[in-house]
Amino acid sequence: MKEGKRRIDDCRLPIDDWKRRVGKPRGPFNGPSTVKGPLFQSSIVNRSRQAGSILHSALALVVILICASVAAAQNPALYTRWENFTQANGLPDDKVLSVAVDGDRVWAGTENGLALIEKGKVERVFQVKDGLSHRVVAGLAVDKNTGDLWIATFGGLSRLSGGEFKNYTNLTSGLANDIVYAAAIQGEYVWAATTAGISRLNTRTGEWSIFNEKNAPMHEPWSYGIAVSDTKVYFAVWGGGVLEYDIAGGYWKPYNDPDGEMEIVLFRNQGLIHDIVSGIAYNPETKMFWASTYFGLSGYDGRNWHNYLSTDSGLASDFVNAPKSRGNEVWACTDKGLSNLDFSTGTWVTYRPSTEGQHGEILITTPDKKVSRVETPTSIAHNYTLNLDFQGDDIWVATAQGLSHGIRKPLKEISSHESARSGH
Amino acid sequence: MCQRLGTEVHAEEKSTIEPEYLNPVDLTLSSDGRRLYVVCSGDDTLREIALSTLAGPTASAAPAAPSAQLVRQVRVGHRPRNVAFSPDGKTLYVSNEWSDTVSEIDAATFTVRRTLPAGWGPGGLTTDRAGKTLYVANGIGNDISVFDLKQGVEVKRLATERYPHQVALSKDGRFVYVSNILPHISPYDQPPVSELTAIDTRTQTVADRIILPGVIELRQIAEAPPRLGGYLLVPFMRPKNLNPLVRVEQGGMLTHGMAVVQPAGPAGRVAHNGSRVTEVLLDDIDYYYAGTYGAAFTPDGSVALVTSSEARVVTLIDTARLQKRLRQVPAAELANRLDSAQTFVVRRLPTGDDPRAIVVSPDGRYAYIANRLDDSLTVVDVPRQRIASTVDLGGPKLITPLRHGERLFHNASYCFQGQFACATCHPEKHLDGLAWNLETPKLGRDRVANRTLRGIAETAPYKWNGRNPDLETQCGWRIAKFLFRSEGFSTPELKDLVAFLKSIALAPNRHLARDGQLTETQERGRQIFFRTTTNDGKEIPAGNRCDTCHPANSHYTAKASFDVGTAAKFDTAGLFDTPQLERVYQDAPYLHNGEALTLEEIWTVFNDKDTHGVTSDMSKNQLNDLIEYLKTL
Repeated sequence: MKEGKRRIDDCRLPIDDWKRRVGKPRGPFNGPSTVKGPLFQSSIVNRSRQAGSILHSALALVVILICASVAAAQNPALYTRWENFTQANGLPDDKVLSVAVDGDRVWAGTENGLALIEKGKVERVFQVKDGLSHRVVAGLAVDKNTGDLWIATFGGLSRLSGGEFKNYTNLTSGLANDIVYAAAIQGEYVWAATTAGISRLNTRTGEWSIFNEKNAPMHEPWSYGIAVSDTKVYFAVWGGGVLEYDIAGGYWKPYNDPDGEMEIVLFRNQGLIHDIVSGIAYNPETKMFWASTYFGLSGYDGRNWHNYLSTDSGLASDFVNAPKSRGNEVWACTDKGLSNLDFSTGTWVTYRPSTEGQHGEILITTPDKKVSRVETPTSIAHNYTLNLDFQGDDIWVATAQGLSHGIRKPLKEISSHESARSGH
Repeated sequence: MCQRLGTEVHAEEKSTIEPEYLNPVDLTLSSDGRRLYVVCSGDDTLREIALSTLAGPTASAAPAAPSAQLVRQVRVGHRPRNVAFSPDGKTLYVSNEWSDTVSEIDAATFTVRRTLPAGWGPGGLTTDRAGKTLYVANGIGNDISVFDLKQGVEVKRLATERYPHQVALSKDGRFVYVSNILPHISPYDQPPVSELTAIDTRTQTVADRIILPGVIELRQIAEAPPRLGGYLLVPFMRPKNLNPLVRVEQGGMLTHGMAVVQPAGPAGRVAHNGSRVTEVLLDDIDYYYAGTYGAAFTPDGSVALVTSSEARVVTLIDTARLQKRLRQVPAAELANRLDSAQTFVVRRLPTGDDPRAIVVSPDGRYAYIANRLDDSLTVVDVPRQRIASTVDLGGPKLITPLRHGERLFHNASYCFQGQFACATCHPEKHLDGLAWNLETPKLGRDRVANRTLRGIAETAPYKWNGRNPDLETQCGWRIAKFLFRSEGFSTPELKDLVAFLKSIALAPNRHLARDGQLTETQERGRQIFFRTTTNDGKEIPAGNRCDTCHPANSHYTAKASFDVGTAAKFDTAGLFDTPQLERVYQDAPYLHNGEALTLEEIWTVFNDKDTHGVTSDMSKNQLNDLIEYLKTL
């Protein structure tokens, strides 16, 4: 692959280069051959030159403006500004395992407690001495209905409500195991992924249910992640693939690697890439779930699988810790950076620290495998990324050396900067 | 002056059937103060009473007590508990504790408009300021139901602490406060901690869990006017359960007072928002006022009134002097000072039996108190600090042994200096969630958890050591000598008290379907409960099976003591009475000393040698199933 390297200052991106590579826009302008994304500009201009007509030039200019606007709205903007939180500015630990956004608040689960970030600073830290059940906070779930925060720790499941912790452990409750990797809210139920299976708490009745190899199609009970849709709950099971639980029917459906646990993929998109699933996400807009494995990224739309490996896509690494998805965005937290797929265009963008200094690095991989590289003055905290959540247009990323706040630069703004620089 | 209302209930019942007492427990006033609405939990009604104040005989004379006339009544659900008005005064809401419903009543026609399904054991309730949302405390469910009143549906439940009881909407409408009767479940050798739950009405989320250390049994919540800072008064009981109960003779074992809570604002939800809590006692050095329950302010906030249900007294407090006292004595010290009340109490007035909720008229002239075991209302002339009248609600006049026994149960005068009544440690005829160091020859040893009184009629013997063969023994000279430190009950009184104790019914089981059918989980748990072999087929010795000590045909108690390996370091014996298991989900903490904070802990922590049934072969799934079955009993 060919990398185009370019240095920019103060978030100004090589937007022209990038726009040429990101593929065709979708939506109302999709279809006519006159609109083919970033490349259309030159084709239309060429046509207008051939005609030699002022009218055609004026028309072309109008189309350019319209399409540029469409591209700005529909192509993902880049995260060129990063604000990082570490122990130096208040986190209890640099290793951040989980992150959850609750309106203006951001919760970060670290290896040594829980942090609340609000108004751009670490507002409060909660540790075992404050009532948290264990120092290692592996997962977080905000109950939007009640406002309570559910905390998956390596010493049980904690609920933070009104400033008070309530802890549930294997000894004091029906929780399957104290090592809890993830929590999720589904109506009045709280689900917890543990090393000994999946636990479910009915918050109204106090009833605990456990799903493991005894009563669910999981030959490995070690569960890593949970994602909830309106009708289903999905589970990432280490070595057990993806499990789907039908809420109304109360039955299970497993998704496994058709190759077994072979660490090769015989046929692309034949099914789940691998049974060692580290995380799961559900996208309510596309109704797809995404599963991160240690051997690539898999998405399932209910009919077809969409698999990505680092060798045939812009995915930074096959070792994927967690996925996240909304709209056409699919995110993969990998050990070699944070990768983002625009599902509509097939364009990948990966964020990672530059190997050459303090800067950040963005790698843009188009569907034709061409890669361009952009440096940014600020960088995601570390290439080892573990978790992600959205806050409006911004993203928050848990990394092995801090929590990163990615601030999106609107394309329009970037364009105007670029235009100003080039004298247009 | 005593007024008698209604004619439909007669006092001359001669049959052995227990008459239907009214048991007024809660009341509210219309905004103009001319209508009083009284919840009668005994006959499942809400009563509307018209109030009118007659002028005195001369212009200079004091106005006569307001006349009270029963206008109408409406039947609501079973065991109604609390009542609240909608902000426009057109609707009344009544919670029905045993029906798990809320009755919505048209105030004009006085008919039930809708019946809303609520959570388990609905009690205190309030609407928000707009009248669009209703908040209902579910005493058994340990949560708050939030209703969308337009749709008539419950939209969410918010977790409270244990046994949420009363609710109050803040005057600015921002918060709903919830008092909890029972404290946190916490280690049995630690002082209790209770919670006043604050709900943000904008987000309908728990904004703060205000901690009240060292106290339990939070009751009615009153808010001072804004000019006084808008602090809250919350009556409580302050037990010294870690001390041996022989200290009753020295006083201060069970004290009664109120928390003065200054909420700090809406910054909570994720962290305590710095609400200031000061606990102050209402007792005097030489006499106590047990059962603090109702609380209200006059509109100008100059006087606060607190009822003491077990002392049958209403206390009038000069709030300016109260504030002075709070400023003068450090908060940490104040909670144990028995010389505070004399500095701010201006009058103590006798009420009827078991005074509970209290409301003050909009003009601040009168306060109305519901006397539950008197079927009456006490009307207090607040400015003159005297009883204006007693309104007889028209309940049966015959005082049956059961009624008499219940009055004794709620009467602290039998205890030395009136320190406590039976009901003090058994709120709502249940338990207080604490472990106590009762009578023992060795102080500090044999700490025992309080046990419920619900459904105990056929579960003799009594006490954790099983040495009391009947309730007469349990509540007779033993109570007098070791607990009350007084003469105790006379023989006839004891007979009536025991009759009442035996009449205490179990509440409906919320974990069991109405048709009695077990769920799959519960059925699996039932099979475990009655199993005779372990998972690998080995026979479980008969003496180590669940149903040996907890037989189904005997309220799940063999009525005998067993050594199940739970004796602790400070126990002088290892045999303990087998508790009944019905409604066991309400009875935490568990085991004889309250060491097991949850049902799970009985087996996960305190049964390592399989002496409390064979459970070591069970999977966690099976234990969960077993517990779900136990909850159905």
